[in-house]
Amino acid sequence: MSPRSDANPEATGFGRRTSLPGRIRSFPALRVAALWESFLVAAASLRQNKLRTGLTLVGIIVGVTAVISVVTIIKGLDQTVAQTFSSQGSTVFTISKRPRVITSREDFIKFNKRKDITEEDAEAIFRLCTNCWRTGVVANDGVTVKHGNQKADNVQVRAVAPTAMFDIDAVTVDIGRFWSESEGSSAHDVTVVGPDVIANLFPNQSPDRALGQEIWAGGRPYQIIGVLTALGKIFGVSRDNRIYIPFATYKKNFGLNISRGAFSASGVLVVFIQTPTAEQLEGAEDQVRAIMRNRRGKTGRDEDDGFAVESEDVFLNLYSSATANIYLVTIGVAAISLVVGGIVVMNIMLVSVTERTKEIGIRKAVGARQKDIRTQFLIEAVMVTAIGGVVGVLTGFGVAWLIALLIGFPLLFSIWSAVLGVSMSSIVGVISGLWPAWRAARLDPIEALRAE
Amino acid sequence: MTEATVATSQTSSGVIAKPGLPSQDGKVLISMRNLWKTYDMGAEKVHALHGVSFEVKRGEYLAITGPSGSGKSTLMNLIGCLDTPSQGEYWLNGKNVSEMDDDELARIRNQEVGFVFQTFNLLARATALHNVELPLIYGGIPGAKRHEMAKQALSAVDLTDRMTHRPNELSGGQRQRVAIARALVNHPSILLADEPTGALDTATSYDIMNLFEKLYEDGNTIILVTHEHDIAARARRIISIRDGLIEKDETVR
Repeated sequence: MSPRSDANPEATGFGRRTSLPGRIRSFPALRVAALWESFLVAAASLRQNKLRTGLTLVGIIVGVTAVISVVTIIKGLDQTVAQTFSSQGSTVFTISKRPRVITSREDFIKFNKRKDITEEDAEAIFRLCTNCWRTGVVANDGVTVKHGNQKADNVQVRAVAPTAMFDIDAVTVDIGRFWSESEGSSAHDVTVVGPDVIANLFPNQSPDRALGQEIWAGGRPYQIIGVLTALGKIFGVSRDNRIYIPFATYKKNFGLNISRGAFSASGVLVVFIQTPTAEQLEGAEDQVRAIMRNRRGKTGRDEDDGFAVESEDVFLNLYSSATANIYLVTIGVAAISLVVGGIVVMNIMLVSVTERTKEIGIRKAVGARQKDIRTQFLIEAVMVTAIGGVVGVLTGFGVAWLIALLIGFPLLFSIWSAVLGVSMSSIVGVISGLWPAWRAARLDPIEALRAE
Repeated sequence: MTEATVATSQTSSGVIAKPGLPSQDGKVLISMRNLWKTYDMGAEKVHALHGVSFEVKRGEYLAITGPSGSGKSTLMNLIGCLDTPSQGEYWLNGKNVSEMDDDELARIRNQEVGFVFQTFNLLARATALHNVELPLIYGGIPGAKRHEMAKQALSAVDLTDRMTHRPNELSGGQRQRVAIARALVNHPSILLADEPTGALDTATSYDIMNLFEKLYEDGNTIILVTHEHDIAARARRIISIRDGLIEKDETVR
């Protein structure tokens, strides 16, 4: 060894061996610096490959969008349903020839063979049902309503008796009045009209002006004596596009060819029964079922009723089973697109590892451990998919908002569905990043440095 | 530097040795004992090194030379802890490196070895400063101190005004100086240079070798792997490798 230019003990200039013993110098297990470095590297890499990043994300975005939009829409509908139905409570049930919802062709044929519900059936129920509070009969029909050269299409006609039916339907008049029981039973040509019909037939006019005017329905004139208070929409269907006429009037003008209807082919007689409380509903249903089975001569225990007894519970059950199915389908769609998206992310991450083999070698040469390299690529994968999650959440909210706007129901944007979307996609990122990250971490530094 | 709080002992040569370590006798930094490296190439085994033994003392300036295929690259990889021997022991700074796992080797590379490569091996997208900070990042040095150390390292290689430049904005010589700053920033026990002038023109090579000379005089231990005789001649000791064995080990100056 040659004589050395002896260092000044006090000197702290660069390059002097003034460093610490290795065992004293820090090499902590968790290094914020290395983590932050991973973030910066990941962000830079994504920025550099914008198009590739975008394409990589399509699958993830589709999956998250599907989940978020469906969850948001159904949450919004749930709210509407809860408001609409719980306010009334299920105190009303109906007797009809066939149920409101028929799920198969066989059922449809079977139900059509049943006897029609007749006025006599309704009267028997009125007379015999002691558990029933209010009862009413309704003939439903659909028609185009005209006034002058204005017309309103697809208006629902409810021909009702007695006037207690207004209470069962829970409708009130905003302007004017309902017909009296005597007007009804003596078949006056009067009508109480929903606000949508008024808006269509009397555009740009105060609804008051419509009172006393005549409208034409099914080739007959009816005098408007009342305008209904608006009920709003449910599932995008307006409940204000309807007119009420007395049952006797309907019968006088068109006869009661119930199975086909007078205005159109849809007139069907339905008996409505209301009980004072929801608890009494079941008792009344049993009683009415017994009365009707007796009238139909059904004695065998296993024999079909030959008519449908339905309360709103039926609708609610149908709603919840429908939404459950929608959720299932959504989960399926989301799962498929997330799996596909995850595979795409994995593929791109493998490409990224190959492209950056040299960089990995350099990092390893200066002291990056396997864990550091693994973390770096995992963070990159999670960052990609989390961005996909955020975009998916936003587009999901957008889609839900559009659909809500079209159908017309209030929306609740929940922070939880956003959290769900982003964490779901992040989990996909972790899973699809594991294998590429493991491969990157396991690279032999000598081989890696030789790359390119 | 801010390590003043840690006990260090001054030796007569002005080199500060690390106290209390097994290799403290005679300040031996590297001890290679009968080192073998065998590559399994399917049917046949290729012995890149067959039984290499030597020692390097702290503060030495050593060149390892030999023709290509002599095993000098293999030896360099072993010294740099990028690889482990198939047989034999390698003690670096009192630690038996030959038995270490991947993470422990990473730690040694981070703290005991500073690499200088022929092709610089800088991160293309990172600034000079960031490149120099890289070992500190993996050493867990917090931000402010890291910047400080990296800046100091860059100014020691006269690149104070190039800190925010990326490698493609720097000349070859400047890039190699960034690499040297990166190698030294964590105060490693050895500076390990693999053909450091191989990609540089003569004048720049001369500058870089002068920088190594200065670093040596400052007390750094330098191991230079090269096949160029005039570069090797700058060192104080030359080990010649041929066919996986030490052919010559001579102190030249």
